[in-house]
Amino acid sequence: MSRYIATHAIRGANAIVQEAEELLERTLKEKGPDTAVAFPNTAYYLPFILGMTGTEISKIGELPPILEHAKKLLSPVPTDSRWLPYLGETLDCGMATLFAEEIIMALKFVTGEQPEKLPGLQLAGSTSFTSPDNGGGPNGNGYLNGPIDDIQLRSWGIQLVDGRMPGFAAIVGAAKSNEVAVKIVRELQRRSILTFLIGSSNGKSIIHQLMEEGVELGYDTFTVPFGTDTESAIYPLGFATRSALTFGGMKGGQAKEILRYNKERVFAFVLALGEVDDLKYATAAGAINFGFPVIADTVIPEILPTGVTTYEHVISMPFNEIEGADDLERAEKLVQKCIEIRGVKVTIAEVPVPVPYGSAFEGEVVRRADMRVEFGGKNSRAVEYLFMDEMDNVDDGKIELIGPDFEDVEEGGAIDLGILVKVAGRKMEKDFEPVLERQIHYFINGASGIQHIGQRDIAWIRISKGATEKGFNLKHFGDILHTRFHSDFGSIVDKVEVTIITDPDMHAEWLEKARAAFNERNVRMGAMTDESVDEFYSCTLCQSFAPDHLCVISPERLGLCGAYNWLDCKASKQINPTGPNQPIKKGTEIDAEKGYFQGVNEFVQVASHGAVQEVSMYSIMENPMTACGCFECIAMVIPEANGIMIVSREDSSMTPAGMTFSTLAGVAGGGLQTPGVMGHGKFYISSGKFILPDGGLKRVVWMSSILKEQMAEQLKAIAEREGEPDLLDKIADETICTDVEGVVKHVTEKNHPALSMPPLM
Amino acid sequence: MTVETPKEAWTGTVREVTLGATADQGGTRSRTLTVGAESTLPFLHFEASIPNPPALALEIRDRKPDDWSPLLYEAWGDVMDDPAAWAKAAEEAGADLVYLVLSLTTSDGSPNTVENVRAVVRKVLDATGLPLAVIGAGQAEVDNELLVAAAEEGKGERLLLGLCEEKNYRTIVATAMANEHLVQSRTPMDVNLAKQLVILINDMGMPLERIVMDPTTGALGYGIEYGYSVMERLRLAALQGDKMTQQPMIVTPGEECWKVKEAKVGEGVPETWGDWEPRAIAWEGITAAALLHSGANVVVLRHPENMRRTRSMIDELMSSKAAG
Amino acid sequence: MALTGLEIYKLLPQTNCKDCNFPTCLAFAMKLAAKQAELKDCPHVSEEAKEKLESAAAPPIRLVELHGGNGKVQVGNETVLFRHEKTFYNMPGIFWRLGDDESVDELKSKAKRADAYQADYVGIDLKLDGFAIEAKSDPAAFASAIEAVRSVSQKPLILLASTPELAKAGVEACGDTRPLLYYADKDNWQEMAEIAKEAGIPLALRGATLEELAELTKSIQEAGVEDLILDPGLSGHLESLQQLTTLRRLSIKKSFRPLGYPVITFPGRDESSNEMLLAAGHIAKYAGFIVLENVDPSVLYPLLVLRQNIYTDPQKPIQVQPALYEINSPDGDAPLMVTTNFSITYFSVANEVEGSGWPAWLMVADAEGMSVLTAWAAGKFDAERIAKAVKACGAEEKLNHKKLIIPGHVAVLSGELEEELPGWEIMVGPREAVEIAGYLKAMWQK
Repeated sequence: MSRYIATHAIRGANAIVQEAEELLERTLKEKGPDTAVAFPNTAYYLPFILGMTGTEISKIGELPPILEHAKKLLSPVPTDSRWLPYLGETLDCGMATLFAEEIIMALKFVTGEQPEKLPGLQLAGSTSFTSPDNGGGPNGNGYLNGPIDDIQLRSWGIQLVDGRMPGFAAIVGAAKSNEVAVKIVRELQRRSILTFLIGSSNGKSIIHQLMEEGVELGYDTFTVPFGTDTESAIYPLGFATRSALTFGGMKGGQAKEILRYNKERVFAFVLALGEVDDLKYATAAGAINFGFPVIADTVIPEILPTGVTTYEHVISMPFNEIEGADDLERAEKLVQKCIEIRGVKVTIAEVPVPVPYGSAFEGEVVRRADMRVEFGGKNSRAVEYLFMDEMDNVDDGKIELIGPDFEDVEEGGAIDLGILVKVAGRKMEKDFEPVLERQIHYFINGASGIQHIGQRDIAWIRISKGATEKGFNLKHFGDILHTRFHSDFGSIVDKVEVTIITDPDMHAEWLEKARAAFNERNVRMGAMTDESVDEFYSCTLCQSFAPDHLCVISPERLGLCGAYNWLDCKASKQINPTGPNQPIKKGTEIDAEKGYFQGVNEFVQVASHGAVQEVSMYSIMENPMTACGCFECIAMVIPEANGIMIVSREDSSMTPAGMTFSTLAGVAGGGLQTPGVMGHGKFYISSGKFILPDGGLKRVVWMSSILKEQMAEQLKAIAEREGEPDLLDKIADETICTDVEGVVKHVTEKNHPALSMPPLM
Repeated sequence: MTVETPKEAWTGTVREVTLGATADQGGTRSRTLTVGAESTLPFLHFEASIPNPPALALEIRDRKPDDWSPLLYEAWGDVMDDPAAWAKAAEEAGADLVYLVLSLTTSDGSPNTVENVRAVVRKVLDATGLPLAVIGAGQAEVDNELLVAAAEEGKGERLLLGLCEEKNYRTIVATAMANEHLVQSRTPMDVNLAKQLVILINDMGMPLERIVMDPTTGALGYGIEYGYSVMERLRLAALQGDKMTQQPMIVTPGEECWKVKEAKVGEGVPETWGDWEPRAIAWEGITAAALLHSGANVVVLRHPENMRRTRSMIDELMSSKAAG
Repeated sequence: MALTGLEIYKLLPQTNCKDCNFPTCLAFAMKLAAKQAELKDCPHVSEEAKEKLESAAAPPIRLVELHGGNGKVQVGNETVLFRHEKTFYNMPGIFWRLGDDESVDELKSKAKRADAYQADYVGIDLKLDGFAIEAKSDPAAFASAIEAVRSVSQKPLILLASTPELAKAGVEACGDTRPLLYYADKDNWQEMAEIAKEAGIPLALRGATLEELAELTKSIQEAGVEDLILDPGLSGHLESLQQLTTLRRLSIKKSFRPLGYPVITFPGRDESSNEMLLAAGHIAKYAGFIVLENVDPSVLYPLLVLRQNIYTDPQKPIQVQPALYEINSPDGDAPLMVTTNFSITYFSVANEVEGSGWPAWLMVADAEGMSVLTAWAAGKFDAERIAKAVKACGAEEKLNHKKLIIPGHVAVLSGELEEELPGWEIMVGPREAVEIAGYLKAMWQK
């Protein structure tokens, strides 16, 4: 905690509490203790006081105990000689400030000084402040808004809770110029963020600035001017308190719950424009109690450690130092930063491309005759590479084309293409890169007239003549990716920048870089072991038709459908926290070789609804994992050869088990444990944990030839490691035999290692 | 020879949920409706306690529907022109809950309005002392507008608001929280989806004591076996202690059955189906009966005759007469 | 506890002799474990192994068969309490009670009509299973009533006879069919068992309590009658549910053999309950035979549909006949849509289209009874299959256009389909059936 801030905030708090005390004394004397005190059109009394203390204030005479309470929260101003963390004191002073401010504003309602007069102001949309004493018409013309009434609270509250409104911003002070003020408000409006205007800086308020520029203020424009004094900051915080009481089901007095509710559910932040004085610091300290961070456009000390707010508490972004071509761009960046700090998620609904877009177009084929241009395939190279970077290094929404677009390419021609996607996000992890990268295929395919095949450096894209005529160009790939990554993966991605490369030199350079990264990823995934993690993941996606089945997915055993590995599950959990992929704590290791874990067993018992009591992660013979029916491969014991066979989904021939894949599927599927039979993903065969307790790859006596071909490299490497370099030759396949007798003959002839292994049964 | 009655030792209990609020509780209902709280499978009193009988609701509309079966028009008659009268008739027919479904349009074909919904909700609340459910017309945007109005109009009455579906639940939940109501979640015949939506609604801050779940059932002959088994599985999971499946279940055999040919149509159907009216009533009644056996806590019906028959069935099943 | 395939394999000869018609002993063992093969198919299994395997495989509820002149009913052999755990195997037999106090002509005409009753439900024939004939007067009347019914119907019978004399007359009148003799109780069981044993027919027992029934089954089994049916004298919803549940649990969970038999119920016996709803309860929860008083089609049809639904194997969903279906009398300009033959998929699509009022052609492709996404994932609903169905169903002759609307979930098939169906325009429809009406309104121009 910055001592500087603490000093100012504590000093500000002491001053405002004293001011409240004086005002209270005076008003008590003038009006008497029985005079009613209330904000208009609310059933929540003085909402902040109600929320924090549970006291329902209706008369002036009830205020002194509240003031006393505020005074108790105060601390003395730190002296130069003391050096303490101050955080607790500062936050308490912030609370004292808010109590004082609410008392002051309530008393000013009694004396007719609130809502604040502002000649010339006409609010857009009816505020419910209609006190005839204040001379305003039904719209309160000539007055600032004052507190938000309950009706509006409900209407906006619902939108804040259901997500239509991402959050609210409280702007305090005045912007560098009128132009900047307008830009900031427009940027917020564009994102449907509710904007509250408060306070002044050097005698000028952003409210004045906006009025001068003719910006309409009021409920209808989601821009509410509360007051030109800092004290009116209590109105948005009262609004926040009432949100918790209304939507969080909390009762007055549940201070902790109300503050936590706001931190977790109300995405609000304070944007301090211009000089920050003591009272602003004190009020900001109050806001931090709600978990609302403060961003200032001037030089102030930052409070970066997180805890009370979700991310940073106080951020300084001196306006003139913000990178940008002009003040307008700086304003835009400032708003962007505020949004990042509070973790406000903004969604963009429509994909801005000139062709129809939607999943209906995913399967479209662009034939050579209809093709305007292609990238990848036989005649050129296309590469797609997604990687993460620091938040500050990613320019959200920036889409750059390096090199020429395809106008000059002959019809039906081909050029090299690179699509680089740079993402940043507070929840983004390096490991999610491949998971997100694979989405590029689906996202691009959604555009009508575009065909996308493959991924990484074997991507192949075609653009049709029709799409070109409608104006589709290369930058649109960027638009698609930017929009879709935000809308589909907003929970892990905050910023997306896309670079499209056709420039040959750049292309070569990035192709190289991407390949190095792909290689590194392969190695990393290959090096991940079950021992290296504490958690596996469940996949209950298939329970809709195999109600008691679940896959337990570990780094070394992917889902049996082949579509979900451990990283996919991890990302899926981030994206959809209540979805089918849930973490499973391994817990106590019962048997490392067979893969029995206390935590896995407990999870499986519940998730299989009692159908499965124990599961071995690696054995086919003892409590094997169940299967739904989506398996890529089925393994089954061949007792005669003391080994197992593996048949691939693509192989429709008879197998030595006496059953074809589809008949075997009936035996292996349905969520029942069937020792001796097991469905699994293709790449499990090359895992170090493949039927580990049963002897691993050396147990395999028969395998569909397609598996031998597709996985030749990996299998060969394992065979060598196992000291059986010719293992693949010793394993029979359907071209050699499709019955047990044939297998026995083959393995005997070839002296297959399984024959000398311990009996399987 | 002695024969012991096998009993299961369930560890879980269905959550108890109360709909409606009396004057003491901040509403105006003359009685409330409590469902759930059982610790065993339907009606197995010998095993564990079943404190609350399943409840029966009658579906009414905010205006006379255009496309209901003629048999239903016949059964209800003129009251269908006035939701208040209809609600009153439903109460007289023996309902525990009035299940008011809003329409997309008013009777002259123009879009339904917030003002109209407020007026209807007010009228129905005034006409009957029963707890009330208010259900949207089924289009997200319209529902979100109309239900917010309904929720505000019925503030404090502990209405049941719906339908919360995976794609559209946040607004309904928000307004239910703001106005002290309950919500009905609906998911398409899947145990995990049902559970997931309850979690999502609960994550928004809605207490589990205010969520009733609708697993979707299908009508007799049109997939009831899926709904039936999903309900049995949900209930078994609940009794085995899976917290997020312990919501009471609401089912809508009235809605499901009266849209299928077997109930809706009198002509141009096979003779083997028998006479129209008894068959149509049987369709809804048998569907309801099967769903009660699979764990329904609230059954929403359309035909008053089935209210009578199902009530008598429930009375028998809840009678203290013990098994031999 | 059921044995696993590997455990069974260990008990088999392990010779791969193929006499069982499976290529290996392990394949046979796996099939046995899945209850898809029978042990008797292996001629070489040792006596010791046989004993072990049979005791593990003996059904907890005895399978009992009735035969008519033509056609049979079998009940029992259930293995689970809830259908989702595996499936319910043998539907309860639904019988109609007729009394011998009615005239022969009347009986004949009633039985004839009921015998002919056959309703179609998604291509499945739904029928009454047989008649329960009640002896209300003397043996001669009983015999002639039975003969009357048999003269017009070949369906199996249940003989409701309270005395051995009546029983004898009834059994004789049944000729070489296999009726159920109802009932023996603690007073007459010896004579009744004698009759049943001699005729080789199943016998139903009536007891006031489960204890009494358990004693009776033991005695009668010892007297040589194996095929037994229980009547615990159930009345009303509550007693029915609780007793039937208890009996089912005793058999499945406790392997309590003395009560491991199917149960017969008479939902119309007690007039205080609605017979139809009570019968529905008996179908859902655990009856073996249900004897009805009222079989008016308006009651019988929904009950038969319920029985069909509840006894559908959850792993093998009800399928709709693959064909081109007409909805709202379409003409050549009406849209053509395709979906799978999974009954729920078909019903949701057909209902929405019907409700929308659009005349349309709905082509149901054979996707082995899976829903759109599942079938697509399993390769049962691909471009090739759809194209084949389009060509086979005769749509080309019936339509004035060549546009096919495919479900939104399989949008990816559009490209391939255009190749498989040259000249056709493939339109991608909505993902959910409820959006069909809106889609047609927006996208379909005549």
